[in-house]
Amino acid sequence: MTTETSVGTHEMGDPGGRLLLVARAVTKAFEGLVANRDIDFEIPRNSIVSIIGPNGAGKTTFFNQLSGVYHPTSGTIELEGTDISHMPPHEVARLGVARTYQNIRLFQNMTVLANVMVGRHVRMHGQWYGAIARTAGIRREEAAAERRGFELLELVGLARSTSGELARNLPYGDQRRLEVGRALASDPKLLLLDEPTAGMNPGETKRMTDFIARLQRDLQLTILLIEHDMKVVMGVSERITVLDYGEKIAEGTPAEIRANPRVIEAYLGKQASA
Amino acid sequence: MPTGSDLRRAISSGLITGGIMIYLVAVGIAPALAERQVITDYLTLGRLMLALPALAVGYLVAGRVGSAIARSASALAAGVVAGGLFSAALLASVALSPGIRSVLVRLSTGVLDFVGFADLGLEATGGALLMFGLAAGLALLGGLIRLAPGAVRRTIVGGAGAMLVVTLLEPFLRPRLLQWGFAEFDDWLYVAHGMTPISATSVFVVGAILTGVWPRARQAAKARVANADPGARSVMRWALLLVALAFLYTVPWLSGSFLTQVIVLVGFYVLLGLGLNIVVGYAGLLDLGYVAFYAVGAYFTALITSPTSALGWGLNFWVALPMVVALSAVVGLMIGAPVLRLRGDYLAIVTLGFGEIARVLLGSEALKPWLGGPTGILSVPFMIGDGKYSLPIIGEQSGAAATYFPLLGFCVLAAFVAHRLKYSRTGRAWNAMREDEDVAQATGISTVNYKLLAFAMGAAVGSVGGAAFATHLQGVVPGGFILLVSITVLAVVVLGGMGSIPGVIVGAFALIGTPELLREFAEYKLLVYGAVLVAVMILRPEGLVPDAARKAELEESRTDDGPLHGPEFDVISGDA
Repeated sequence: MTTETSVGTHEMGDPGGRLLLVARAVTKAFEGLVANRDIDFEIPRNSIVSIIGPNGAGKTTFFNQLSGVYHPTSGTIELEGTDISHMPPHEVARLGVARTYQNIRLFQNMTVLANVMVGRHVRMHGQWYGAIARTAGIRREEAAAERRGFELLELVGLARSTSGELARNLPYGDQRRLEVGRALASDPKLLLLDEPTAGMNPGETKRMTDFIARLQRDLQLTILLIEHDMKVVMGVSERITVLDYGEKIAEGTPAEIRANPRVIEAYLGKQASA
Repeated sequence: MPTGSDLRRAISSGLITGGIMIYLVAVGIAPALAERQVITDYLTLGRLMLALPALAVGYLVAGRVGSAIARSASALAAGVVAGGLFSAALLASVALSPGIRSVLVRLSTGVLDFVGFADLGLEATGGALLMFGLAAGLALLGGLIRLAPGAVRRTIVGGAGAMLVVTLLEPFLRPRLLQWGFAEFDDWLYVAHGMTPISATSVFVVGAILTGVWPRARQAAKARVANADPGARSVMRWALLLVALAFLYTVPWLSGSFLTQVIVLVGFYVLLGLGLNIVVGYAGLLDLGYVAFYAVGAYFTALITSPTSALGWGLNFWVALPMVVALSAVVGLMIGAPVLRLRGDYLAIVTLGFGEIARVLLGSEALKPWLGGPTGILSVPFMIGDGKYSLPIIGEQSGAAATYFPLLGFCVLAAFVAHRLKYSRTGRAWNAMREDEDVAQATGISTVNYKLLAFAMGAAVGSVGGAAFATHLQGVVPGGFILLVSITVLAVVVLGGMGSIPGVIVGAFALIGTPELLREFAEYKLLVYGAVLVAVMILRPEGLVPDAARKAELEESRTDDGPLHGPEFDVISGDA
């Protein structure tokens, strides 16, 4: 897959629905400070794409607009043809976007299983009156969600015996896994991972990136990774977008990005590229 | 010998303890209890009150690791410091008496005599020395109890606890015993006031035996339940439920009119606590104006059931109740809507304001034609009949007992609803919101809807409490709906353990019931509230009955319903 073909598809309006998410000319300004400027970006289905850039490049701002936390000052973001640019986060989640956080944000005082079951919220329908009456439908739904929760815990590699533990009592690596499990519980179409290897040593980082690649393959997921460490994304990403000072400075396959002089300059400074 | 840091810790603990003992005397709590006999002629509750801090500090200080000698030495050191400080203060007070009363008004000669053991014929110096020796000895005793093996420790604490309970319950137990024809037992247990040395010892022994047997009996019962087949287990469960119901049914008959009044008061706080627990404990919305919902429930009930109110409808209570609940839920939504964007402290301040607005409005001149201004609304009819009805076995119920039964029903219903909600999609959404609102929203939870739902639910439960309260007093006045009610209910929830249903019940009994049992305390109720809350927050911030039972619940539900015992699932199911 090359830059030319993807641009071509866009110009033809993505007839086959090959693109899951399309962002057009997204600009986000905070009281005069422009964090994202005119960013065009797309995510093909069943792929892993990455956004990289030095600290302060505007990655997380962009990410937050994809999940509805921020709304673009101008430009649009479409998920499968639906404009999500101005939707609140819970509706974006309902449409199938799930995310994790750079500095793990679990529901600390809830059990491991409950964390995953909260993740399942959007795919459940029980209301408070049904819960009080505990109708047969509610019982079925709860049992199914619980079963799914245990499956997901197994999938992300958490022992069944941890399910009753409070999330805050898990070791760091398990907390990361649980966060991924919670995100997966909503059966997402698009999984957004914000620096999933932050705070990990090289061995753990390797295991995590392998895990992400396997997840994508096994679940036919579409994953967007955000990283400031270029090495992490090189192995797993089909395409990489590079941001610097809020602007997109490069886009392409890992090999293209590695060779791109503007990227080297952004990462290593002017001298290195000269 | 204790190490330097242990010693430093013992000394500082001792100083704090001495300060507490001085404080208990200076504000008058301990002397107020000087007339309550625990063991006639030997021990009063007032003396016990002063002894307990010394015992406790010894027990706590000896909890540090180290050799047995070092630990008991630390306990003794703490006691010596505490006793020394206290005795010095006593001597100083006597020397400065009576001038000191211009600053510390409670330190009358009577109080100083009480502290200085004048009843034993001791002069101030002798009394101070005796206090010093006692404090040191008690601290050492506390330390030794801590060092004793677990079983012995439990036994001693159990025996002492039994004595304390029998003492505290004396005013209520005695009339009961006489009524049931146990006059001789009463004579043996209590003399004029307080127990005899023999009966006290017996109570101690019985308490000790019961506590000693308890863990083993519990273990055995657990094992039997675990080994029983599902049919037998469900029989056991029903039997347990029946016993509980039978007990609850006979409570007014067992406890007599005064204790029933106390229990009804506790019941109101249990109901309010369960409602506020949904808002604060489940959803994490700190509501300091909860009294507003209580007031709305009470006033609306009065308005539509009292024949003398401005509306004059004179509706039956049970017809009125659904209307009250619905209206209060709407008020909950109205209060909830403007504060949706606020978090934490800001939310607390705004709800505090709402509570005050409610109180001011109720007593206001503007609404006087409807709500009666400061005089409120009177002639609110009873919930059942004319406040007197007869029940099988236990006979006629009137007064507080007439309120007890419907109130018990409301509490059970509220607890049931709270329990069902807790382990549901709704309850999890609330908990997630409490833990991290942003993440909850990103997970797909409409925080706006769930906040409003929490406010409406809390309001509905609170209004039922208000409605029952209006009928209990047969009227409403604005003076009953003050900020203190909101704070007390919050204290009940926090003390019991946020989010915990049994916690609310225990919290209400501890915070509302105990002060009623110690009438001498009435004056110091708020002081005790404050002290208890500070102590709980430091020593046990998760509350008396924390919500960690969740884990056990989860395991139980798994073995009960068995949906998770199926064949091993495929790692990845197709619906992802």
